[in-house]
Amino acid sequence: MILGDLLGVDVYNDDGTRLGRVADARFVVDGAPRQLLAEARLLGLVVSPHSASSFLGYERTGLQQPWPLPSLLRWRHRGSFLVLWEDIAMIGAKSVRLREGYTAYSPALDSSGP
Amino acid sequence: MTAHRLLAPPPPVAGRILDAQLHLLDRQVLDHDGVPVTTVDDLEVSGPALDTELEPGAAAPVLSALLTGPVLGTRIFGGRPPASRLVRIPWEDVAEVGVVLKLGVSGENLDAGWVERWIRDRIIARIPGGRHDPR
Repeated sequence: MILGDLLGVDVYNDDGTRLGRVADARFVVDGAPRQLLAEARLLGLVVSPHSASSFLGYERTGLQQPWPLPSLLRWRHRGSFLVLWEDIAMIGAKSVRLREGYTAYSPALDSSGP
Repeated sequence: MTAHRLLAPPPPVAGRILDAQLHLLDRQVLDHDGVPVTTVDDLEVSGPALDTELEPGAAAPVLSALLTGPVLGTRIFGGRPPASRLVRIPWEDVAEVGVVLKLGVSGENLDAGWVERWIRDRIIARIPGGRHDPR
């Protein structure tokens, strides 16, 4: 699968309610070791309710500069959440469906994030 | 924003976290000598099959390759080139992810640089003085 096809796709929960769009895909480099880097497995998807994509990622970091970009971009990406691979029921060409009782996690990249 | 602050952090993982848009896409790719090779236009993931119900506990797909290719037109007008036109750089060749992506192999043998090599060998080399460094 080409990842660009997944970005921007609508995300629905199990009863068909639209939750947002896929803004980003999060990988973690902890798979089978290779010669240089380990395999990067898909940890989950970042879903954004109000925007089709993510821009500069201020909603995932604690950066405050340059004013007023962080505030504006955090507002644009408000409500973004991370859903783990285990909570994804189906990935389609035009939609992603989550499992019943999925958990929305903070998309922050580290503890300093919002 | 308020609801966002209430979300719990995800369970900790051992490896380094890479967000595709923030850390990989559009980054420059350098080979092991520091020579620019290309940029990351897209990424190839090992799965899953589209429009197929995922079994609980199914193994997560892994990043299999960086993709590059003739994307200028599709960046402007939308869509993407057919998968057959995209050049793959296997994830196994990636040595380091930072401000740029560094490969552990030479860029001279990668398909990603064939246009540049073709222009160098067929055009630049025929220009007087084109076969050596400027003095």
